Amino acid sequence: MALFSELRRRNVFKVALLYALASLIVFWVVGGTLLAIGAPAWANEFIFMVMLIGYPVAMIFAWSYEITPDGLKKSLDVDQTQSVVFKTGQKLNAAMAVFAVLGALALVGERLMPTFELPKIIEPILLPPVYEIPDKDGVPEEIRAYTLDNGLRIIVWPDHDIPNVVMYNFVRAGGRNEYPGITGLSHFFEHMMFNGTERRAQGEFDGSMEAVGGANNAYTSKDFTVYQDWFPRSALETIFDLEGDRLENLAIDPSVVESERGVVYSERRLRYDNDNFGRLYLEVNATAFIAHPYQFPVIGWSSDVESWTQEDLESYFRTYYAPNNLTMVFTGDVTPDEIFELSEKYFGGIDAQTPPQVIRTTEPEQLGERRLLVKVDTQTPLLHVTFHAGSATDPMTLPLSVLLNVLVGGESSRLHRAFVEEEQIALSIDGFQMEGIDPGLVYFYLTLPPGADIAATEGRLLEELLRIAETGITEAELNKARNIMIADFWRGISTINGKASALGNAEVFHGDYQHAFSLPDDLSAVSAEQIQAVAAAVFDRNKMTVGVLRAREEGEQ
Amino acid sequence: MSIRSSTSCLLLVLLTSVAFGDGVTLPAAERVVLANGTVLILNESHDVPLIGLRAIVRGGAAADPIDKHGLAALFADLLQKGAGERSSADFAEAIASVGGKLDVAVGLESVNISASFMAKDASFMVELVSDMLLTPLLDSKEFSALRDRSINLIKAAKGSNPGQLMSSYANAFLFGNHPYGNPVGGSESSLAKITHGDLIAYYADMVGSDRLIVSVSGDFEIPAMQEALTTAFGDWRPAAKPLQELEAPLSADSSRVFLIDKPGATQTYFHIGNVGVARSFSGRAELDLANTIFGGRFTSMLVTELRTKSGLSYSASSKLSRNAQPGSVFISSFTETSTTTAALDVALATLNRLHDGGLDEAMIASSRNYVMGQFPTRFETAGQLAGHFASLEANGLDSSYINGYGDSLSSATVESIAAVIDAVYPGPDELVFVILGDAKLVREQVAPYGPITEISLSRPRFHP
Repeated sequence: MALFSELRRRNVFKVALLYALASLIVFWVVGGTLLAIGAPAWANEFIFMVMLIGYPVAMIFAWSYEITPDGLKKSLDVDQTQSVVFKTGQKLNAAMAVFAVLGALALVGERLMPTFELPKIIEPILLPPVYEIPDKDGVPEEIRAYTLDNGLRIIVWPDHDIPNVVMYNFVRAGGRNEYPGITGLSHFFEHMMFNGTERRAQGEFDGSMEAVGGANNAYTSKDFTVYQDWFPRSALETIFDLEGDRLENLAIDPSVVESERGVVYSERRLRYDNDNFGRLYLEVNATAFIAHPYQFPVIGWSSDVESWTQEDLESYFRTYYAPNNLTMVFTGDVTPDEIFELSEKYFGGIDAQTPPQVIRTTEPEQLGERRLLVKVDTQTPLLHVTFHAGSATDPMTLPLSVLLNVLVGGESSRLHRAFVEEEQIALSIDGFQMEGIDPGLVYFYLTLPPGADIAATEGRLLEELLRIAETGITEAELNKARNIMIADFWRGISTINGKASALGNAEVFHGDYQHAFSLPDDLSAVSAEQIQAVAAAVFDRNKMTVGVLRAREEGEQ
Repeated sequence: MSIRSSTSCLLLVLLTSVAFGDGVTLPAAERVVLANGTVLILNESHDVPLIGLRAIVRGGAAADPIDKHGLAALFADLLQKGAGERSSADFAEAIASVGGKLDVAVGLESVNISASFMAKDASFMVELVSDMLLTPLLDSKEFSALRDRSINLIKAAKGSNPGQLMSSYANAFLFGNHPYGNPVGGSESSLAKITHGDLIAYYADMVGSDRLIVSVSGDFEIPAMQEALTTAFGDWRPAAKPLQELEAPLSADSSRVFLIDKPGATQTYFHIGNVGVARSFSGRAELDLANTIFGGRFTSMLVTELRTKSGLSYSASSKLSRNAQPGSVFISSFTETSTTTAALDVALATLNRLHDGGLDEAMIASSRNYVMGQFPTRFETAGQLAGHFASLEANGLDSSYINGYGDSLSSATVESIAAVIDAVYPGPDELVFVILGDAKLVREQVAPYGPITEISLSRPRFHP
């Protein structure tokens, strides 16, 4: 015990602790600087050895010498009544406190200060990040992908043409995830994500983004809610801060919810109630599906928009905006390394959640045609005709997409030539295919001239569609459609926005961003016979839904 | 470190094209004036295997005769219906067969042809564009079908999406018989008066080599492209008539209201504005900064008041159209029928607040960052570059219009912006209101804003 108290009196313990702390700091700072200026890796080991050898020397020194007002003296020569070891001990305490604070700052700096060297030195040794590198032919090799521990998936395509960056965040939440009572909630959330967090008041998200030169938008589909930011490179870290904040700290303020209901109503009036196309589309879509949630309008039924509750909103956010339910794409003037580092920093701390429930409902087979009529004040009737088709990954989806191009893809397409130019039975004809997670629809829509014979036009359309099943399409038509789709593919990826959209959609619908580059090969595999077989399977009268929008006829109620 | 060799090569190529620092610097382009007056502008960039072309024929809908609005627009549509040896169907087929795009659009002061083709089809593209301009079929059957379809599409828009007709009503009411009041696409009644003979005369009088600018950008070699274009356009005739000179339109000096009745409409669309400024306006940078703050982005004053704070509307904006002579400045938005005056009053209060000053350094810095931050995205593709070069040439501007933009934004001050706001945005007693909605429900509500001129949406013309 005597030895112990003498060691303590002579501050040997404190010196030991101080030495250890100081060594650690010197090792971090000097070692980091050496690496940063390009010194070899053994320089760090050298410093470590010097520190280690110095340790016993310092201990012996502390035991043998004492700091006095007259200078350094051997302990044995000091008059113990005049000893200042206690004061020295206090100075050592203060020194330890300073080193402890420095050490703590170094650790905090790892999170707050991106320029601090520490993480860059330690990470390659302790945690080598595993970035996925494209392995398919034709995929640009500079693309990288990475998944954070919390499940957030990130894909980066560097492109330094312009000093700008595009971010897309795909949230797996859309009309498909809704049910009666909460229809339209995914779309409403798209609005609420801009309306304030625990750190930022309503409007600050947009204000901060625009102040650093960024712009944003978002859209909701039947499968996904997608957030988009377009910004100069200089705004990169601000964007991460803003995006991380709204994913982690979203505030769902009841008064903001009420005002935002008004905004969504205004959007509904604009796109559907005062737009004949939108009005008919909602009803045809709701009629073509009787079981699957694709039947719900993405904007929501009015009564649901009016009445969803705070609890609905909170639980929806918790489930669907968890990092394991997101896929982010960055394209433009960035490097994958910086994006992955910033992602760890700003998104890495957000907790994963139990994955959302699987959508179990599948649409039963339709066994006979369905029809509906909407009567409004209009001079020009609308005719919508739809059939059940496949999902994004269904093998018949690409052939059907090629066929749509042959039928309604522009001025030279079959149905445009026949209906608009030659027979003049329609003012316009167009179509699309839903390529979603679950089987969707192939949809044709026509605007008819005043006084049109709607039934006859419907008959002509069916005749043309059924004819494909019998006689197919020509090789020339197939080649033309292929060329259009390949040129459109190139046009699409000629901007950083198009690149982000292409990678993200390939990843979320096909499970692999590299799918974005398989179109040329996949197209060359599509044959005229295959298209004919798909037409025969899809264009079936019994799987058809027909919607007509027209004015009241004379004498009609 | 992570920039791979392929990217580095790309970077080297791009250093010779668009440059970005405190703004955008246009790449050097070859400019050639042919003996017949046609101007060629050529710029190579080999980023993707595509070529973008923009051809501008100066003169457009502003030159339409007063009872034949839509003449230039019908001409633009008819240009796409066959040329050279190709019928309408063959021409469309030729474009699509190689995955090309070739569109014609018309504005008040120009007819614009935009083409996008794969690099391997460069000479085919030149053939199609020159056929379209030099030997269009202008077939009379195609003409009458197009005219009928254009009339019916206006009827369809009235039923389906009346918002898209608002600018036709607004310009007609603001500019009256000045050419800037012409509905670019025509009206149901004016289109019906246009004959095939009018189209043939338009082509001879208003279209020719002295009015043509052809700008090409993308993946090609300049000497070969220059030769192809010179061969194609070098012998073309000039237009028979000189380019029309316009007078400046008169501003409205008192407030007035144009009410377009759509019975049963559940929402009211509105425009509020007056005559603004010409393209040559010296305070361009100040005006862009001010309009961004007022109604040009999501956090603008108008969106904040009409959407974010009040939930009255899904969107709101303020837009300036800047042409050879002063165009319009319009606030526009829409709201539920019952909140028509509430929304109009919010818009007016916001306009007053703009005039009262209060734009501080922070708002201006934010606006400048926003405008500059988004500016480079307009110079990303071959088609965009070709468009910028053609448009500078057509408007008698040089590259400093783009290269010097960053500097002029930087030198704008609180005071210079306040002066521009005063000069450009109308005061509270000189506002033109254009309101489309259910008249029986909004007529009394809008009466206090000024004397009302009312028409029905089904009326076949846009002018009062």
